[in-house]
Amino acid sequence: MGNEPAHTVTRYDQELDRLRGLVARMGGLVERQTARAIAAVVDQDEEAALEPPELDVEVDALEREAESLAIRILALRAPMAVDLRVIIAVLKITGDFERIGDYASSIARRALKVEPLDGALSFGALRNMARLVQENLHSAIEAMVNNDSECAMQVWGSDTAIDELYTAMFRELVTYMMEDPRKIGPCIHLLFVAKNLERIGDHATNIAERVYYAVTGEMLPALRPRGGAAKKSG
Amino acid sequence: MNENTMQATPSADVEVEASASAVSGRPIAIQVNNLDFYYGKTHALHNITLGFPERSVTGMIGPSGCGKSTLLRVLNRMYDLYPGQRATGEVMFSGQNILGSGLDLNALRSRVGMVFQKPTPFPMSIYDNIAFGIRLHERVSRSEMDGRVEDALRRVALWPEVKDRLQASATALSGGQQQRLCIARTIAVRPEVILLDEPTSALDPVSTARIEELLDELKTEFTIAIVTHNMQQAARCADQVAFFYLGELVEVDSTARMFTAPRESRTQDYITGRFG
Repeated sequence: MGNEPAHTVTRYDQELDRLRGLVARMGGLVERQTARAIAAVVDQDEEAALEPPELDVEVDALEREAESLAIRILALRAPMAVDLRVIIAVLKITGDFERIGDYASSIARRALKVEPLDGALSFGALRNMARLVQENLHSAIEAMVNNDSECAMQVWGSDTAIDELYTAMFRELVTYMMEDPRKIGPCIHLLFVAKNLERIGDHATNIAERVYYAVTGEMLPALRPRGGAAKKSG
Repeated sequence: MNENTMQATPSADVEVEASASAVSGRPIAIQVNNLDFYYGKTHALHNITLGFPERSVTGMIGPSGCGKSTLLRVLNRMYDLYPGQRATGEVMFSGQNILGSGLDLNALRSRVGMVFQKPTPFPMSIYDNIAFGIRLHERVSRSEMDGRVEDALRRVALWPEVKDRLQASATALSGGQQQRLCIARTIAVRPEVILLDEPTSALDPVSTARIEELLDELKTEFTIAIVTHNMQQAARCADQVAFFYLGELVEVDSTARMFTAPRESRTQDYITGRFG
């Protein structure tokens, strides 16, 4: 989204650069929020748990700033083609980032209520899922910053693995709850954390779709690949 | 994605299909094939192949001197008025190559009408401005003429404004009214194609909006080609848009596609304001 020659009107370029800067900063913040929220859960890190809700204030402010700048550019510059696509993508991506920030904060707030479970399921499954979600989020942001449609396409195709991990965790936790009603409390917390992570993964996929559109002008199909085709190895 | 990509010079077959598909399902009213145009020694148009779909608006955009107005002038052989100008290739209209010799130019121009950048009312009454063109091509009775004049003025939404002063001079009308009068004069002779060369560049925004609204109505009946420097105007009015640069047709596609995701980087640079 920045590989084109300069506009004849320099101010226009400056405005678009500023918009890209705002959304890149948002991306950095929500990545941090997500990482700290996960650390809060799986490492039972109390300090980490405080950070995501604090950062959320800044994320929300950036969203408002990016949105009003995007509206201003739409109104004053009548952007076309790649410029139009970038601005539309930015408007939607900031919405995705804002949601990710909320999910991360919600995970963080729940973190200290989640106790490690005795037995087979500790945080192992959650760690795996968290790693994939973080990878996808990171790649989606990289794709955005580098206008990399191939990278975006990869993220888009690899969300299935996260969904499958979530489904497996869900089944496992339900089994625990049936076996021992005393585990219902911690299992429910864990399930919510997993669900929120899965939602973060979905938003990373959304971001990848928007980046792909902004860069290529083509929409990815409405249906993502299902099953093993797009499964991430390792 | 690739079979529809419009290069400037693919084979004629591919081009016809692709230009027809920019406005889906419409037959082509005018098909330009391998057109070259020369102003004396200056080669102004290079191997243009472009279809104008029936009853739809084709917008032609590009920087000054790109050849878009030249192409418009070829479509009704306006260039014949000037010595040293010639065209090669073919322009098929109703099964006939209009570049051929022995063509009745008056008949052609009654079927392919033209509206210019500056309103060009004749220095006569509003009524006679319309009647003049009709008299040139047909013999009609006084009462039929009244009907034809009223009909033309109604279709350009000028009738309510001028019906009480049809004998007043046309030059007393405002710029926007004059331009609508010129369009009325053009459609009064019942053409099939209307060519407009920057028809609103001398008009205020309200008059411009009226002309654009008018184009929307006229295209249900006529094939329209409009040259415009105003990209937003092409975006608002046209069904397909052709981008010209240095005498070449760079790209033609549906308007929505052209302004959201053009295929050629030269098109993108131009419409996003990156032309250096």
